Amino acid sequence: MKIGRRGFLSFVIGGAAGTALSPLPWKLMDDSSIWTQMWPWTPVPEDGEASYVNSVCTLCPGHCGITVRKIDNRAVKIEGMKGHPVNNGGICLLGLSGLQLLYGPMRVKTPLKRTGKRGQGQWEKISWNDAVSEVVEKLRDIRSEGHPQTVGFISGFDRGTVSRLFERFLTAYGSPNFMRMPSVRDSYELAQYLMQGVQALPGFDFENSDFVLSFGSGLIDGWGSPVRMSRVHSAWQSAGVKVIQIEPRLSNTAAKSDKWIPINPGTEGALAMGLAHVIVKESLYDADFIENNVEGFFDWKNLVIDKYSPDTVASITGIDSRTIVVLARGFANASKPLAVCGRGNGTTPVNIDECMAVHALNALVGNIHKKGGVWAVSEPDYINWPEIEMDAKAAAGMQHERLDGAGSKTYPFTRYLLPRLPETIDPGEKNPLQALFVSGANPLYTHPDTQAVRNAFDKIPLVVSFSSYMDETAQNADLILPNHIYLERYEEVPTPAGMIEPVIGLSRPVVEPQFNTRHVGDVILQMAKGLGGSVAKTFPWDSYDSCLKETLGDLWNYLIDKGFWSNTGAMPPFFGTSYETASGKFELINKDNGSIPQFKPVSIEGDEKDYPLLLIPYDSMRLACGFIGDPPFVMKTVEDSILKGKDVFVELNPKTARNQGLREGQRVVLTTPKGKAEVKVHLFEGIMPGLVALPRGLGHTGWDEYLAGKGINFNTLIGPVEDPDSGLDAAWGIRAKLEKA
Amino acid sequence: MDSALIPRGVKRCPLWQFLLFIGAAGIVLLWGVYAMFLCWFKGLNQTNMNDYYGFALWIWADLAVIAVGGGAFFTGLLRYIFGKDALKNIINYAVLIGFICYSSALLILAIDIGQPLRGWFIFWHANVHSMLTEVAFCLSCYFGVLTIEYIPLILENRQIDKVPFFHHLGHNMHEVMAVFAATGAFLSFFHQGSLGGVAGVLFGRPFAFREGIFIWPWTFFLFTWSAAACGPCFTILVTKITEKVVGKKLVKDNAIELLAKISGWMLLTYTIAKFIDTWYWVTVLAPSQGFTLMDFYSNNPLYGIWILITEIAICGLVPAAILITPKGRKNPVALWIAISLAVVGVCLNRWVMVLQIMAVPVMTFDNWVMYLPSWQEVATTILPGAYGVILIAISYRYLPVFPNEAELNPMEPLPAEEAEEKSVEPSVDLEPELTPAEA
Amino acid sequence: MKEGRTHKRFQKFGMVIDLDKCTGCGSCMVACMAENNVPFRKDESNKLLSITWMRVYKLTNGMPFPETDVCYLPRPCMQCAGQHEGHSPCVSVCPAIATDYSMESGIVSQIYTRCFGCRYCMASCPYHARYFNWWDPIWPDGMEKYLSPNVSPRMRGVVEKCSFCFHRYQRAKDRAYMEGRRELQEDEYQTACTQACPAGAITFGDLNNPKHAVSEMVEPDPKHSGRPKNPNAFRLLERLGTNPKVYYLSSREWVRRAGDNYLKNEKKVKKPVHHG
Repeated sequence: MKIGRRGFLSFVIGGAAGTALSPLPWKLMDDSSIWTQMWPWTPVPEDGEASYVNSVCTLCPGHCGITVRKIDNRAVKIEGMKGHPVNNGGICLLGLSGLQLLYGPMRVKTPLKRTGKRGQGQWEKISWNDAVSEVVEKLRDIRSEGHPQTVGFISGFDRGTVSRLFERFLTAYGSPNFMRMPSVRDSYELAQYLMQGVQALPGFDFENSDFVLSFGSGLIDGWGSPVRMSRVHSAWQSAGVKVIQIEPRLSNTAAKSDKWIPINPGTEGALAMGLAHVIVKESLYDADFIENNVEGFFDWKNLVIDKYSPDTVASITGIDSRTIVVLARGFANASKPLAVCGRGNGTTPVNIDECMAVHALNALVGNIHKKGGVWAVSEPDYINWPEIEMDAKAAAGMQHERLDGAGSKTYPFTRYLLPRLPETIDPGEKNPLQALFVSGANPLYTHPDTQAVRNAFDKIPLVVSFSSYMDETAQNADLILPNHIYLERYEEVPTPAGMIEPVIGLSRPVVEPQFNTRHVGDVILQMAKGLGGSVAKTFPWDSYDSCLKETLGDLWNYLIDKGFWSNTGAMPPFFGTSYETASGKFELINKDNGSIPQFKPVSIEGDEKDYPLLLIPYDSMRLACGFIGDPPFVMKTVEDSILKGKDVFVELNPKTARNQGLREGQRVVLTTPKGKAEVKVHLFEGIMPGLVALPRGLGHTGWDEYLAGKGINFNTLIGPVEDPDSGLDAAWGIRAKLEKA
Repeated sequence: MDSALIPRGVKRCPLWQFLLFIGAAGIVLLWGVYAMFLCWFKGLNQTNMNDYYGFALWIWADLAVIAVGGGAFFTGLLRYIFGKDALKNIINYAVLIGFICYSSALLILAIDIGQPLRGWFIFWHANVHSMLTEVAFCLSCYFGVLTIEYIPLILENRQIDKVPFFHHLGHNMHEVMAVFAATGAFLSFFHQGSLGGVAGVLFGRPFAFREGIFIWPWTFFLFTWSAAACGPCFTILVTKITEKVVGKKLVKDNAIELLAKISGWMLLTYTIAKFIDTWYWVTVLAPSQGFTLMDFYSNNPLYGIWILITEIAICGLVPAAILITPKGRKNPVALWIAISLAVVGVCLNRWVMVLQIMAVPVMTFDNWVMYLPSWQEVATTILPGAYGVILIAISYRYLPVFPNEAELNPMEPLPAEEAEEKSVEPSVDLEPELTPAEA
Repeated sequence: MKEGRTHKRFQKFGMVIDLDKCTGCGSCMVACMAENNVPFRKDESNKLLSITWMRVYKLTNGMPFPETDVCYLPRPCMQCAGQHEGHSPCVSVCPAIATDYSMESGIVSQIYTRCFGCRYCMASCPYHARYFNWWDPIWPDGMEKYLSPNVSPRMRGVVEKCSFCFHRYQRAKDRAYMEGRRELQEDEYQTACTQACPAGAITFGDLNNPKHAVSEMVEPDPKHSGRPKNPNAFRLLERLGTNPKVYYLSSREWVRRAGDNYLKNEKKVKKPVHHG
């Protein structure tokens, strides 16, 4: 058949019209839009039965109660637990992101053994049995060679059954080298020991004080138990409590305070002494308290009057003398004033003089162990385990001095001095540390002078990490024995940092362990069993869970039922027993060792000629800088004036920038005696001229691609500065310079 | 080879030259098509738009082509309704340009939306209160009208015309064209206006917001008015460019001058209205919301007060003054300047009403936001240009677009097959390809 | 009020955010992300592309050292009512009714499956409370386990925004109906951000219900064109006539002033402009 032009055209046009009128195009149009509404690559969360599990968050020392919402066996949301004494329903952004840590790509999913060089990221999966026996063999060798003291343990925490198991294991094995990660608690514990003779947790009754004087503590920037501090801050706002923040940079805490008093960094102790001068000179102190409860007041008074006049202090601190006088009067005349020290979120110690000077202020106004004051909080005493069985090897090992020098002749009262470890390890030919275990800590990230710590680690023949996440320390370990994360395990959680009322919470498995991980407590028990002998006998429990149950006794059922135990009506420790000093009083001058609150400047690294600026760190709730790194949600909240792409910004006063010829957004090289890094400039009026501020919490190499490689780790630019009196790291900053990149 | 398709009495370039030209424009077209598919398959992350700059280059291009495409409705209105017969010699071209502009606008919208397959929801789930709904309806309808207006021209092709059915169809369509012109003018009034309304109703954006009557903000009327004023200028501009490219005169001066004169008066009145609108906005409306003029024009590297001056004075008053004076519009150079400025002016106005709205901070703690289009956006924006060039080239070669062409360019007795052909929109990179092979 | 004729009293859910209490910690942002299945990407530092239904802005007073001051301002969707109930900037412009104003709750909804991504609503919102899904949402392998079934993850190419956790309202209502109640208690329906805020800076409830805390906190003063009696209360960009349902409290004058635009020498807030 021949199709003519006309026929063809008719066919085409007719066909087109026919198709258009048929349901076909309309059906296709509809179908395609329905398809876009349920694209198979956009997940549809499965529905199921909803339930709630109460537990405790242990991502920071804040220890908030949490309620986890579940759909069938999936955890879908973490919320703050209503009625919990710490947080009463509130929750911080890190706690809210916990499920990203549970299900996230940063998890170590199975025991791993290093195959390549350290830190190269080459691993092979091994079974739990192989992993543990490998460790046990090594430990057995070390022990049989008679050097049990060369095994060390770094823990992020030193309270509760898990930490006690670590310590117990080391002791039974024969090593004194259990080390806790440093924090301002070190300074406070020491100050309280020296002035009050007690070994206790520092507690601050912020809820009841009416005048808060903070020497740089980032009270709402992650200090202590952050949610509790937020609640406290709101209570202050409602009640009109005066809050004075003293620090060189306008932190959030400073911005929310009634008055921000900028101070030359590192001179906070001098200001405390200056305030004491005014209080003493004008007799504003609590005469009653001084007379009955304080020892050494008159000697100290002379020192204070002599050396710390407002004018002298003004010249040191940069705060004018009038302000000092007004501040001192305001503080002393308040009915429940409270002074607190420790910079930023409190994860670094301060030098002991500064801490004692600030603590002395509280004593001057009689606010020790009182409502609205500072308490020495004793731990609820529920861990009563049988005596440790020690064989000869263990006893011999325990005779050795600690590697970090804590408790030595030089630093007799300091408990842990982890920052001193690298310097101990480094020079030796044969490493004094043959094996190191790390749990709940990430020293290769959080320690000052990261490179030095890493060099030291390189010399340790065996590094075992218990980390649940691929953090920097895990990355550089030989073996990773991943712990369950807090949402997968039982653990009792003692009183949160800074709280005065004793609380015990219970972390419990919200979901089944997601991966081939194991409770670190069980691994310790397994190791002990593997070693046999007295070590094994020291651990009579089958599993960590049974150990915990047995330890808690009746409390176990209470905690399972209620989720937490607290002593809400906690009374301050009774005066007579709370000062365990020789004099039975609060000692302004400790006669045993001559320590006395005063101001000794900490000489930080670098000289002014080469490094005209001062670099200080700052903390933010939105940047976790401890053993946990920011999960993706939290990273999302980091402002673009802090991080843009992979570049971190340093804060500079516009005046400083002008002097240095720098402008907003400019790329610069930040150099300190410890290292250099490329950063960008952000101009901020809220920082003292001459300073450079860098946020902590960035510059990770581990974790996941949402966090790694962004910004600079502050700790790579600073080194520890040893406080000669206590051995604590007293560095508050480091000299620095900026050059155009 | 294709001589049988070429209209009688006119000369066109050799086929190979034509194909070479089409091929060159085709490459640009393909580049744009590639970018378009990237946007469709990978999503709008291919652009540099963001949550502050949700409207960007495309929407500007959309508004601009619709504004300059306004020549079609306004010329049609003048020709068929007001009986300006002289315009019959340019009406075909005006319709063709309009058709290109509007089809481009629809294509851009199809690329611009995040869910192109759901684009029809705007009709199916229409929100009658939304200016954008009004735009969508009128735009689509008017595109239909333009298609109907363009079809008779296609039917006039020598070969198609031979088919009696098409011949009669074309004839009959011509007869009723006035009805479509009227419909088109009506629809255009609304969608040009509602495009203006799109910005004007944004009461959260003091830079854009205008009061008005009933549901229509003043920008509604200003947009229609400026499209009517500047659309014909664009028609003239494209005609002039086409003439330059093909190297012959295609439209008689009286048609051009008449259109230019009317445009001139429209532009003048528009500029006055725009000035009054701006004055009221600056002195009453914006201050009532806490803004001064300079809040909208400072503290940023691009959107300075120069924009307002350029738009109103340089691209409004100057071309208006040239076009309304006989001396001005008769002077070829002055005419070129005037129509170019008018077209730039209306495009600038649309730019401001899209991009500057997005750039100006409203919350006191927000910042100016700057935006640079990605290559995918640029390519898809140039795509309609290339498509326009090709459609003009084909139409010019095979359809009697310019009724005066034969008269103005009498053929040599020899029926030489070569003719010149060319076209164009201001597409610079194409110029070298167009070097006349010479008639 | 037609109380006599009908039992149904319209609710007007709103929020009061105490900026004196807000510490800028960012909990509200993350609570919202976790509650509403908000996706995230490798780099979220470009805030122009970062989906944050609740965003905390950092405001500075612009004064030189040491007079500098900083205040944080959480910004959810303002659930604008407009000058006549329902005339929100965004609802009035959406061409496909993909966003709507609920007369029952006063909440501005967003229907993701209806939205076709024209982004006109984003252009209309002066608060930048609306976000576009420029990318397909992708969760790292395994992380999709925490996704809540109460909020559907959004596909690429549509706009999303804060819904005042509308699904919680539905959940609470369902529960109440099951128990034979018609009215919700104040604490039965709270948004995720309100619940999480460690500082208790956010108060949420029905502005029309005198029993709810919010209605007391920002009780209107009829003598003062309906502005709250509380002198510390203000709303963002009130002068534009958006009529938001999110109120802020601040004792600092510069913060209150940062809430709106003022001419240089303007002292008092004039009546907001009205739009026909």
